[in-house]
Amino acid sequence: MPGRIIVITSGKGGVGKTTATFNIGAGLAVKGNRVVVIDMDIGLRNLDIVMGLENRIVFTIVDAINGRCRIKQALIKNRKFDNLYLIPASQSDNKDALTPESVIKLCENLRKEFDFILIDCPAGIEQGFVNSVSAADEAIVVCTPEVTSIRDADRVIGLLYSRQITPKLLINRIVPEMVAKRDMLNHKDVLEFLSIELIGLVPMEEQVIICTNNGIPLVTRKASKAGEAFLRVAMRINGDSNLPIEVPKNHKSFWDKIGVRLKKK
Amino acid sequence: MFNLFKWFKCFKKSGQSKETAKKRLQITLLYDKLEISKDILDDLNQEIIEVISRYFMIDKNALTLDFRKAHHEHLSVLTVNTPILGSKLKKAGS
Repeated sequence: MPGRIIVITSGKGGVGKTTATFNIGAGLAVKGNRVVVIDMDIGLRNLDIVMGLENRIVFTIVDAINGRCRIKQALIKNRKFDNLYLIPASQSDNKDALTPESVIKLCENLRKEFDFILIDCPAGIEQGFVNSVSAADEAIVVCTPEVTSIRDADRVIGLLYSRQITPKLLINRIVPEMVAKRDMLNHKDVLEFLSIELIGLVPMEEQVIICTNNGIPLVTRKASKAGEAFLRVAMRINGDSNLPIEVPKNHKSFWDKIGVRLKKK
Repeated sequence: MFNLFKWFKCFKKSGQSKETAKKRLQITLLYDKLEISKDILDDLNQEIIEVISRYFMIDKNALTLDFRKAHHEHLSVLTVNTPILGSKLKKAGS
C-alpha cells in the first residue's frame, strides 16, 4: 500500500509545528510504521536540531531534488527509532530552490518506501507553504488557543479547502489552569471558530522544552502528558479513530475544582 | 475560613479575558473573510432597518445582524433578527 503524505501546517510561526511533526512521526514509528519526516523550511531548518540529528547532515532535500545525491543519501536515520528518518532542509538556499512539481515527484518516490511521509511546513502562506502543501493528501493544522494563532489557522484552513484538502486540527499549548480561570479559550471555543475535525489536544509542558534541549522525542516519556497526547494523535492517524480525545486537566485541590464549577454556572 | 472566602470569590467576575478574545476574534475573522469594515456593516444595518420599516413596524434598536460560519462548509451566513411590532400594510397600500 502506498504511504500517506501528511502536511503539518499552521500559518503562524512558533505554535509547535516542528515539535508536533517530530513527535507524531516518532509515535507512528513506535507503532511499527516506516516514517519519514521532511523539513520544508528551506533556509531556516530546525527539525534536525529538534530531533537531535543536527550533526549528521550531509545532503539535504534540495540536493535530493536537484540530483546532487540519491534520495537514500539524504535520508538520516534516527538512532532511537529504527523506522524514523529525516530529510533535512538546506540552510544555504532559499524557498525558491524548490517547486511544487519537484516536491510532488520526491514524495511520490518516498511513498513507495514509507508508510507515512510527514511534511513540516514553514510558517507563512508563500512559496514554502505552496511547496509543502502541493504534495499532501492530508493536512494537520496546529494552533494554540490564542487570537493570533486562530486567525492565521482560519486563513490556512481556507487555503487548504481550496486545494481540496480537509484538514484536521491539533490544539497545542493548552494551559488548563488558565482555561479554568476563563483566561484562555478552551477547545470548544477554538472549534467554534475553526469548525474542522479535532485530532488532538496537547497541554503546555516543561518537558517539551527539556526534550527539545536534549534532542529527544516526548512520546517515549512516560511522565509527559504532552507526549501522551502526541502519541494518541499518532494512533488516531494510524487508524485508531475511536480513541477518545482527552481534554488536558489541571490537578488542583478539591476546593478549587468546586470554585471552577460554580464559575461555569 | 479561607475556603469560604474562595467560594465568595467564585461569584465575582474575575479574569475572563477569553470573552474579550472571543468577541474580538469573531469580528476579526468576519472582516478578514468578507473584507468589509465596521462602517459598511453599520450602513447595511441602517439600510435593512429602512427597508423593513417600509413594511413593518419594528424596534430599530432590537434589530441584530449576525454573521456565522455555515457548518461543515466554508461559507458565511447572515442572519437578521428583529421583533415585528405590527404591520404597515395599510399605509403601504394608501
